[in-house]
Amino acid sequence: MANMDGDSRHLLIPEVNHEINPGPMNIQFDSSDLRSKRPFHIEPTNIVSVNDVIQRVSDHASALNKRIHYYSRLTAPADKALIAPDHVVPAPEECYVYSPLGSAYKLQSYTEGYGKNTSLVTIFMIWNTMMGTSILSIPWGIKQAGFTTGICVIMLMGLLTLYCCYRVVKSRAMISSVDTTTWEYPDVCRYYFGSFGQWSSLLFSLVSLIGAMIVYWVLMSNFLFNTGKFIFNFIHHINDTDAILSTNDSNPVICPSARNSDHPDNDSMIFYANDTEIHQFEKWWNKSKTVPFYLIGLLLPLLNFKSPSFFSKFNILGTVSVLYLIFLVTLKAIRLGFHLEFHWFMPTEFFVAEIRFQFPQLTGVLTLAFFIHNCIITLLKNNKNQENNVRDLSIAYMLVTLTYLYIGILVFASFPSPPLSKDCIEQNFLDNFPSSDILSFIARIFLLFQMMTVYPLLGYLARVQLLGHIFGDVYPSIFHVLILNLVIVGAGVIMSCFYPNIGGIIRYSGAACGLAFVFIYPSLIYIISLYQEERLTWPKLIFHVFIIILGLANLIIQFFM
Amino acid sequence: MEESDSEKKMEKENLGPRMDPPIGEPEGSLGWVLPNTAMKKKVLLMGKSGSGKTSMRSIIFANYIARDTRRLGATILDRLHSLQINSSLSTYSLVDSVGNTKTFDVEHSHVRFLGNLVLNLWDCGGQDTFMENYFTSQRDNIFRNVEVLIYVFDVESRELEKDMHYYQSCLEAILQNSPDAKIFCLVHKMDLVQEDQRDLIFKEREEDLRRLSRPLECSCFRTSIWDETLYKAWSSIVYQLIPNVQQLEMNLRNFAEIIEADEVLLFERATFLVISHYQCKEQRDAHRFEKISNIIKQFKLSCSKLAASFQSMEVRNSNFAAFIDIFTSNTYVMVVMSDPSIPSAATLINIRNARKHFEKLERVDGPKQCLLMR
Repeated sequence: MANMDGDSRHLLIPEVNHEINPGPMNIQFDSSDLRSKRPFHIEPTNIVSVNDVIQRVSDHASALNKRIHYYSRLTAPADKALIAPDHVVPAPEECYVYSPLGSAYKLQSYTEGYGKNTSLVTIFMIWNTMMGTSILSIPWGIKQAGFTTGICVIMLMGLLTLYCCYRVVKSRAMISSVDTTTWEYPDVCRYYFGSFGQWSSLLFSLVSLIGAMIVYWVLMSNFLFNTGKFIFNFIHHINDTDAILSTNDSNPVICPSARNSDHPDNDSMIFYANDTEIHQFEKWWNKSKTVPFYLIGLLLPLLNFKSPSFFSKFNILGTVSVLYLIFLVTLKAIRLGFHLEFHWFMPTEFFVAEIRFQFPQLTGVLTLAFFIHNCIITLLKNNKNQENNVRDLSIAYMLVTLTYLYIGILVFASFPSPPLSKDCIEQNFLDNFPSSDILSFIARIFLLFQMMTVYPLLGYLARVQLLGHIFGDVYPSIFHVLILNLVIVGAGVIMSCFYPNIGGIIRYSGAACGLAFVFIYPSLIYIISLYQEERLTWPKLIFHVFIIILGLANLIIQFFM
Repeated sequence: MEESDSEKKMEKENLGPRMDPPIGEPEGSLGWVLPNTAMKKKVLLMGKSGSGKTSMRSIIFANYIARDTRRLGATILDRLHSLQINSSLSTYSLVDSVGNTKTFDVEHSHVRFLGNLVLNLWDCGGQDTFMENYFTSQRDNIFRNVEVLIYVFDVESRELEKDMHYYQSCLEAILQNSPDAKIFCLVHKMDLVQEDQRDLIFKEREEDLRRLSRPLECSCFRTSIWDETLYKAWSSIVYQLIPNVQQLEMNLRNFAEIIEADEVLLFERATFLVISHYQCKEQRDAHRFEKISNIIKQFKLSCSKLAASFQSMEVRNSNFAAFIDIFTSNTYVMVVMSDPSIPSAATLINIRNARKHFEKLERVDGPKQCLLMR
């Protein structure tokens, strides 16, 4: 036993308490740990009924249970050496928890690989996760690409990203030598590309997260500003007749960017010379100069929370916001009617060409709009019928595409073009409605609250990934976390002040992180795994190299547009 | 605990494989220092690399599996420098740390059982040329004073010819250096064979091995760490190593009847393998020996985390009372009483008195024959 001295350090690991109370509800069953808890799985044939009330376990099964318990003490938890192989412990459909006293209780839990979620729930979760703030930029994107081109690009991008997502989902299956059940996509990257893969996937993941957080900050300042303005105007009964180009009817649509160069952006231009109160308000409530800073006081404390599980309860707000946006857009379209004219190559005063060369801006936005590749594996893990994974994924992508198309087409088509030019469609289409519009006010409030609850979650994810990989600890100290949060918040504030164009931010960060996760990694990993299995054919190689080139082109061209 | 102290002493004294067998060197172990004591007798656990010896040793002896062979490499460096082995040793340890489990167990035998039988683990016929050279150059020392040779065969091995070849060369060495050694062959990893084929395949192997081992006699077992066969095989091995086992069993039976116990078990101290037992009632569970052994070994592991050592245990409920206690210097006893009205003190006094008797039993036999007495 003398070698225990050196090795005892390895044994001082917090262990799972195998003692249970008779009463299945007390059992803490961490499903992610299922493989190492195999001893609790017993074939139903081993449950022997002694009397009708309590079922006992057969001696053979309890001996195996004891054996596995004991073996697990002999190695480190990470060491797979003495973990029972599949042919020794069959994985039954049902799970029994075995009490050392010999009786067995059946649990309503699930075995590894089988989730609780029906297909519908899985599809909804994928849809919900993908629906982000990029939905606000889709109409602008269609405008930039031209109506026809825009629709075609949306559908094609949807298909392309769906294929790449399919590759991500199938990537684990190509690895046969190692147990990949707990792996996420960055682990697969690490397997193929070593630590370069790990670090680069971390980097790109962070790019997408921080890009999203900057967009959120810009949008939140925007919505907060408009909400404040609405409330102020409502209280003081001000009719906000800005000298902004607007339609003169009951459904006003404004064109904020068509201003005189004299007047600064985002400020209300009318102020009553005698009314210093309003002047004061304009001075202290400015979209780009002051409101972003007010947000710091609200959000920085929230970012420092250790565990954001409180915020994940508000997940439903996201769905509600998107549904409300759909409703809003439908209502506006009904009221405003359709204004479409088709000019194929030359733009007119009010309309844009159908085919424009700025369509890469739309592809940049869409790369982020269809991005779910870094967490799709986890989402699909909980699907009850794993064989339907691909089908459910495709349905989810189809629904997302339809949603984007719906909102994009309706906003674009119903934009009142005779008085206003289609070019006026803003990167955040809610900006096209004045702050006095009640419907959009409600939309802004919803989105504001939703973003305030998602922002700490994103911060937590960024923190976990960055600090976890650099320092090994998710929460090394309050100072590390504070510095990280200050950097992120600072970036958001700076962007809000100087470059509040969410369309731009979305397309740059989308193209950048999409390059890795959507285009390069899935294709490259597929090519490599085929090559290792010697199944690589020329058509497949060319097709996937083409995808990689598309991704690169997507990124590069963002800088030229 | 005395065991660990003496093991620590052994650690310090084991400066390398013995080149010249020291005669008359004090054991430094617990118990008696006998003037004519020969050097420690060995149990060789041999087999191809990857056949499962390390796992087996871990499981039987409740040792934490040493996966970090880098550490092993460093201590071997220290130990072998004195033998002026060339510096290719450093490459050996580097190759190892990539993740292949190669056990290079020179005198890492902290595991003793049945008195001072020392367990040595050797990879035989591995891929490592350095290992092979070392093995052949130290052959005589390795195979001297061997009490037991346990050779492990991987049933899934694709190189049957090679395995047999290495086995035979080991047998030759045994014939030269320790012709009295007992030979056991374990056909391991039987769980990888389909159930209906297991008997057939084992019979085939057994015949081959018996044939190859002549003139030496070997006993064959089929084992797998995932069922009870491993425990049973090792228990049988230990059973065969005890010379006066029949007498022991008779005495145990008398003891059990006197104290009116349901069952009395005698365990080997280090491994909790059942040496002998007596039961006066039919017991339901055929796997109980292994289960108890695993439970106690697991408990010992937990105790060692707290730097404590396990000595005795009493388990009691309305149906039975069980006592596990140190018995003789190499054994533990477990007494199961189903009459709860008998007070614990009575049983404990009985055990204490029996202890003296059994120790006398051990001392009766001469030092050369009796394994239990070192």
